[in-house]
Amino acid sequence: MAPRTRKAAAREPDGLSPPAVPPKENTSAVVDVDALLAPIPGEEREEVRVNNASVTDMKHACDDALKRFLSRPDLFKQIYTHTDVRLALGWLSVLVAGATGLYGWKVPFEQSKPGAWAGVITYVMLTIVQTLYAYFIEGDIVFVGKRKTFDKRIVTERITITSRTTPSTPQSPPRYALGVVYVRSASGGKTLLGKGRANEEQSYTEFFDERGVMDQERFERWVGSVVGRVMDGKVQ
Amino acid sequence: MFADELKTLRRLGVRHVLLQILNFVSVLASGLMIWKGLGLITNTESPIVVVLSGSMEPAFYRGDLLFLTNLPDQRYRTGDITVYKIPGADIPIVHRVLETHDFVSDKNGRVAASPLLEKQLLLTKGDNNHIDDIELYQGLDWLERKHIVGTVRGFLPYVGYVTIAMNDFPQLKYALLGGLGLLALIQRE
Repeated sequence: MAPRTRKAAAREPDGLSPPAVPPKENTSAVVDVDALLAPIPGEEREEVRVNNASVTDMKHACDDALKRFLSRPDLFKQIYTHTDVRLALGWLSVLVAGATGLYGWKVPFEQSKPGAWAGVITYVMLTIVQTLYAYFIEGDIVFVGKRKTFDKRIVTERITITSRTTPSTPQSPPRYALGVVYVRSASGGKTLLGKGRANEEQSYTEFFDERGVMDQERFERWVGSVVGRVMDGKVQ
Repeated sequence: MFADELKTLRRLGVRHVLLQILNFVSVLASGLMIWKGLGLITNTESPIVVVLSGSMEPAFYRGDLLFLTNLPDQRYRTGDITVYKIPGADIPIVHRVLETHDFVSDKNGRVAASPLLEKQLLLTKGDNNHIDDIELYQGLDWLERKHIVGTVRGFLPYVGYVTIAMNDFPQLKYALLGGLGLLALIQRE
């Protein structure tokens, strides 16, 4: 029988059973997401160990754990648009640079000047576009996910997660600031069913021990609670 | 030795590996483009060269780095230090201009008004050599503008030894490149 409460889901080792029926009273679309957002106890996890003196390493470990957690089969499906744009622009500029280099090597200098100018200017343009994209459009985003559920109509949920590091002060250790933006819509995005945002931070000392091993379950529980709260948010 | 890093790479997927390789390759690409851009701005195919011999002592010693330009609207004057390449010889030579002659051509009874459009013929000599460079010209009597790679505008002492070391010991070059590549693949920005 499908679990009805979070505790029941926790008792069952296979936490990925299909969404429970009947749904919660307040909304029809949020179908026992809390059960999905709970970390699976006893799940086989590879140990994540980082240098706990390096804040960038810890941030990357948290970001990766977050992506793994939210990409679970019944949760969100990651949308790779930002990554793909970055890869495409980057590899294109590398190819342009390589082609210009090869051309300049094969053809004598005086003849190659117009072609070399074209190549260098193209490369500079591509680099400027990449920088502007990363700064303005991508920003701090680490995860964009989409989820489609069917409950009388197709409900699409879209979640965008940003993360930053708040640097340490003499009074407090460095903190991991999580930002969540959530939109739920139906009929192809035309009807807005609900949206929410949240911003929370936790210090890195909550998740990493003195050896640098990451307590993934604790991290997932925290992320699950923030995301769950946003997803349970106001419904129009 | 890299078990942890390999595990991380496998877990993170294709896109991540592509991103890491991109990090490394784009460093090389930007270095190449800076070099090419510098060459285009200074109008010379090799804007930075290393002194290999001692023929310009005490001005330049082996291992000095030289910065060249080859501006098209400037004439060469006696006393300029130029880098030239004789067709047929691979190595560019850096010596001082000893004599310049303007070859005024008379086409159809007309002479060009601008002196820059006329050919310049040059003779060079290394400061530390006893004789001028005629024997290095491989049969030519004079150097022409098209043989000149550029004129020296500035220099940095000793820095060129890195390039000399990498040319004399190619293993060093590969080791450096390999080390950089490994670092770029494992680090995350």
